[in-house]
This record gives sequence, structure tokens and C-alpha cells, in this order.
Amino acid sequence: MNYFFNKNGPLISTYFLIAIVFWLIFLIIIPQLYMLDLSFRPNLPPLLRGGPDDVHTLEHYKYFIFGSATSEDPYNYVDLGVFFNTFLTAIFVTILNLCFCYPIAFFMAKVATPKTSRLLIVSLIIPFWINELLRSFALRIIFAGEGVINNILLGTGLIDTGINFIAADIALYTGLTYAYILLMIFPLYNAIESLDTNQLEAAKDLGSSTFRTHWRIVIPHAKAGIASGCTMVFMLTAGALATPVVLSSPNTYWFTQLIYQWFNMNDNWSRGSAYSILLLTISVIFVLLMMRIFKVKIGEIIR
Amino acid sequence: MKSQHFLNILLGVYIFIFFTYLFGPLIIMSITSFNSLEFPSITPWECFSWRWFNEGKIAYDGQHLAGLASDWRLRDGLIKSLIIGLGVVLLSVPIGMAAAIVLTQVHSRLRTIFYSVSIMPVLFPGVIIGISTVVLWDRIATIGGEGFIADLGRNGIFLTILGQTCFISTYCFLIFVARLQRFDQTQEEAALDLGASQTQVFFKILIPYLMPAIASSAVIAFLASFENYNTTVFSILSEQTLTTVIASKVRLGISPAISALALVIIAITLIAAIIYEVLRRREDKKKKEKQNLLLYEETKDSRLKKEEKRSFRIPKSIYLILFLLIVGIFGFNQIVKNGLYGSECVAAAESEKKSKFSDQLKLLQKNAEAVDEKSLEGGELGGNKDYGDIFGDTNLFKDFGGFDTKED
Repeated sequence: MNYFFNKNGPLISTYFLIAIVFWLIFLIIIPQLYMLDLSFRPNLPPLLRGGPDDVHTLEHYKYFIFGSATSEDPYNYVDLGVFFNTFLTAIFVTILNLCFCYPIAFFMAKVATPKTSRLLIVSLIIPFWINELLRSFALRIIFAGEGVINNILLGTGLIDTGINFIAADIALYTGLTYAYILLMIFPLYNAIESLDTNQLEAAKDLGSSTFRTHWRIVIPHAKAGIASGCTMVFMLTAGALATPVVLSSPNTYWFTQLIYQWFNMNDNWSRGSAYSILLLTISVIFVLLMMRIFKVKIGEIIR
Repeated sequence: MKSQHFLNILLGVYIFIFFTYLFGPLIIMSITSFNSLEFPSITPWECFSWRWFNEGKIAYDGQHLAGLASDWRLRDGLIKSLIIGLGVVLLSVPIGMAAAIVLTQVHSRLRTIFYSVSIMPVLFPGVIIGISTVVLWDRIATIGGEGFIADLGRNGIFLTILGQTCFISTYCFLIFVARLQRFDQTQEEAALDLGASQTQVFFKILIPYLMPAIASSAVIAFLASFENYNTTVFSILSEQTLTTVIASKVRLGISPAISALALVIIAITLIAAIIYEVLRRREDKKKKEKQNLLLYEETKDSRLKKEEKRSFRIPKSIYLILFLLIVGIFGFNQIVKNGLYGSECVAAAESEKKSKFSDQLKLLQKNAEAVDEKSLEGGELGGNKDYGDIFGDTNLFKDFGGFDTKED
């Protein structure tokens, strides 16, 4: 501590300390811990808080699994369904994104000239400066009942009645894939770019097929990038709210929408907190899993 | 060899499709903002008009669909977004900088823990950061009683700034860490040996070195704050920012004014990107010229002397711009020729719809009379079944900014 003060001088040290304590303690750690605590407490009106009824309880987690006491079903099928649907869809979207982005990232890193790849990067970034809501809205115009795709299909006579893309959740999946493509491409691009091109040429000279070169050389080299991209896309997809709000069908819920409902419509903050903790748990498990599978450190995932 | 060639073509086609997927929706959305129809669509095309950028329209059935310029909700939201963005920049840039500098000074275990905690907020879903900020500050406000703290803890703008700062600081932190990795610490030592105080070293050496990182992290922080929705929607409480206004409009999804707004944002983005790119290229060129000159002066090798070409070279992109311009003029000419532009076209379409609407109204009235008789007999009460009764529920359009319901 003394060393720290000597090195930076009193004025600057104070600034450092205040800034870091404020951020780490007051903005990151305490709010999360308080939310965790709240998730184990019953939902009470403000006046009763801190009173004898304010005890720790598993009520909200029980509700998530078994449903309300008055319902007939043994389990809370609706909420569990939404939870697993969100989880599986997020994984599906992540894999889809990886498959879409890998060829582009490889092209930018190894095939294209620096000038071309520079141009491609700029044109990739531009759409992502535009608000996520507006991007989803653009897709909604295309997928709407009287939207562009339906009009084209009807106009060319391929189908007789309009397809309801939004009810079939096609719009939602497309929107989620569309939303976070950039966060998959950049880690992949950075990882592949650091690969020595000589290795690729050597593999080719030794008679390796294109597929084999990718499988044995490029992908192992880029695994940190793959892990990083997949983690970011999964986290953002599972925690997405803007895209589902715009594109999900009225009878499909995203888990964040459920949280939103408990929180804002039903005013049950502690249940909203409990559901948030569940979302956080699944996210953390996914990150740990990715770190384990790809054998990377957390510092390599976020750069 | 042939298969390689084939693969490359395949890759080219794929990239083309990929970028169509990326830009197609945005382009279509931009086009819909010029259609005078009150539903954002390309087909059917009614008239080419600027109405969604200006005053919007008063529909044939008396609804007022606000355009961009006349929408006070958007304007209020924009102002609040700017305030929040400014607050976030002022907080998160110093925080990120402090954390990154301290990271270079701590070692081993502490460093790992410190780094992991600092990057955690990026991994948290945005909704969770918003919720945790709100619940904590609500508690603080309750404990704090009736004074200043209570007001602060329930102020949406303040909470949003805090919530966004939580994770945007991490972005800034990462930018500073990257910049500091290339910092030569001997500079600091030299300054200290020459008798500078630590405070002087910080302001005269470290800050100037970090200036580019400060600038870029400020820009990133502002943009991230400006377009954030997930955290804001929880922490903003009863206020509205630009994104939450857009969200409440988009959920109903029926106003081309949103397309117009998107087009404005796209245009700003494009211009900013082009300016940035031009500046970067100019800098690169300058650097290169400087290097060449330096090399020449050192070696006096006449082969290295590059003749400075001052001739004006037309950039290739001019062809693209010319092409777009020609297509635009041609298309516009066609539109005007076919009478699809101007107030006459709009007026014609309006009157046609009005007459249709009045026909329908008559029909409805006739039906209503029939229903009235039925309801007297104890049957169900009739509504406007043709409209799915959507106008029956007055709450439905409460949150929708489209109708001009300004209270003051």
C-alpha cells in the first residue's frame, strides 16, 4: 500500500483508489450480492420489509420448478419450457453463427488483400452502429404478414397463402443470428489472422485437402477465437431483450421477457431477481464449460 | 487446381450472399420510409413522399401518425439519451483508465483476481445489471428516508448512468489495457530521475501517451450508452430514453416514422465512417511520405527518392457514386413521370381511401343497426368486427407515440 502511494503520489493514488473502489465494490459486487439476497426473500410490500416476515426462503426457486401451489401440474411447465427453449435456441444460434462467420473470417484474414479486408471490416461494422431495435425492425418489415418476402412469394405464385414467419419463430431466429454476427466474426478474424500463412502453404504442398487443412491447422490455431466468439454470442443471445421484444411471436417468450414481466408488470421484484439469478447461473456455467472445452483462460475470451 | 478455383468462386458467392443478408434489410427499411402509406412496406407503393421525416400524417379516420420532426417523445428521449451518454462518458473513462493503470502495478494473484472481476460485467446479461442497480438503489432510497438520497435512488437517469457505467467501464478498461501494454516504463523513470513529481509524471507523460485511448474509449462509451436497451429498460424507471421510445413504438410496429429515424441514423453512421476512413488514409499516406523522406535523407540513395506525384488521381469509389447517382436520378424521373410524387399523388390516394372509408362506415352503421336489434333480443353486443375491435380498447394505444397526445 505504501509502495502504491509512493509510486503514484498522494493525489493520483486517491483518484485511483476512489475510482476503483467505486466501480468494483459499488457498481459490480454489491448490486449483484444484494440481488442474490433479494431472490431468497418473499415479495413484501415496502412497509413490511425488515419486519418479522422478511426471512430467507426458497419460494421463488420452488415456484420456478413446481409452479404455484394452486396449479394442477406437478411442474411449472411454462417457465421451465421458456427457460430451456431460450437455452437451446441460444446454443443453436451460436452454432449457426459460427458456421456462417467462419468462411468470412477466413476470407478476410487469409484470402483477401489487405485493402479488401479493410473495406469488408468497415462495411461489417456499419450495420452494427445502428441500434439493435432498429435492425430488428428492419427484419420485421421483411417478415411481416404483408412483408417483402410474403409479397414476393405470393407475387411469383410460389405459395397461395402468406406464411406467418413471426408466429413460426423464423423471424426471431433470423433476428438473433443477425444481431450478434459481428461479435463472432472479430474474434475469429483476429485468431485466424495470427496464423502463419506458410503453414497453410506447407499443408497444401504436402497434399492436404482443403477440409483437412482447416480441420487440422486453422481450427486448432483459432480455438481461442472460437471460444471467445461463441461465449460472447451465447451470452448476448441468452440475455437478449430487444430482438425478442420486436420479433418474437405473441405466444413465444424469451426468458428475459419473463424476467421483465415479473419485474415491471407484476411488480414482484424478488421473483424477478430469482429468475435473473437463474439466467446468470446458466451463463456462468456456459462460460466455464467453454473454458474447459477449449482450454482457454477467461482473459483470452474477452479481449 | 481447378477445384481450388471453384472453391474461390463459391466463397465469393457466399460473401455476396452474406453481405446481402447484412445490408438488405437495412436498405429495404430505408426505402419504406419514403412510401406515403401508413404501414412500412414497399409493395403496395403509394406515393413517394417526405412526410415521415416531417409532420407525419393525419389519417383518413382522424388518427394523427406523427412524423419524425413533429414527434415530441422522440425529441425528449433523444435529449435524455444525450445526457445519459455524457454522464456515462464522464464516469467510465476515468474509471477504466484508473483500473488499467493500477493493473500494471499489481502482481501475480491479485492481478488475476482484479482482472477477472473487472471484466465480469461484460459477461453479465444487460438485464441483470439493470435489475441489480434498481433493487439496490430502491433499498438505499428506502433506508435513506425522504431526503436527497431517496430522490437520487429513484431517479431513472441517475440509475441508468450507474448501471451503464458498470459494464461500459470494462470496455474502456480493455482499451486502456491494450494501449498500456506498449507503454515504455523507462520514460516514467527518466522523468522521476530528472526530478519530476509523481503527479507531474502522470499529467505530463502518462496522460499524453494515453490520449488516443481516452478519445477512442470516450467515443465507444458514448455509442454503447446511446444504443443500450437491455440495461436501460429496467433502470430508467418512469423516464424515457431514445431507445425505450423506439422500443415502445416498434413493438406496435406500424409507423414508417421509425424507418425514417433509422434512415437518419444510417446516414449519420455512413458519413461518420467515411470521414473516419478518409482521415485514416490521409494519415497513413503522410506517415509513408515522411518515412520515405527520412530514408532518403539518411542514405542519400537517389533510387529511394520518390518523385512526389501531385497529379490528382480519381478514386475508384467515384464510379460507384456516379452509378448510384444516375440510377437515383433515373428512378426518380420515372416516379415523377408516373405521377407517384408530390402532393397531388398523396391527395389523390387520400381521397380514394376516404371514399372507401366512408363507404365502409356506412356499411358498419347499417350493420350496427342490425346488431342493435339483435342485442335487444339478448344477443351479443356488436363492435366493429371488421377491425377486430382494435379501436375498442383505449389502453392499447396509450404507450404508442404515434398519436399526438401531448399533455401540456
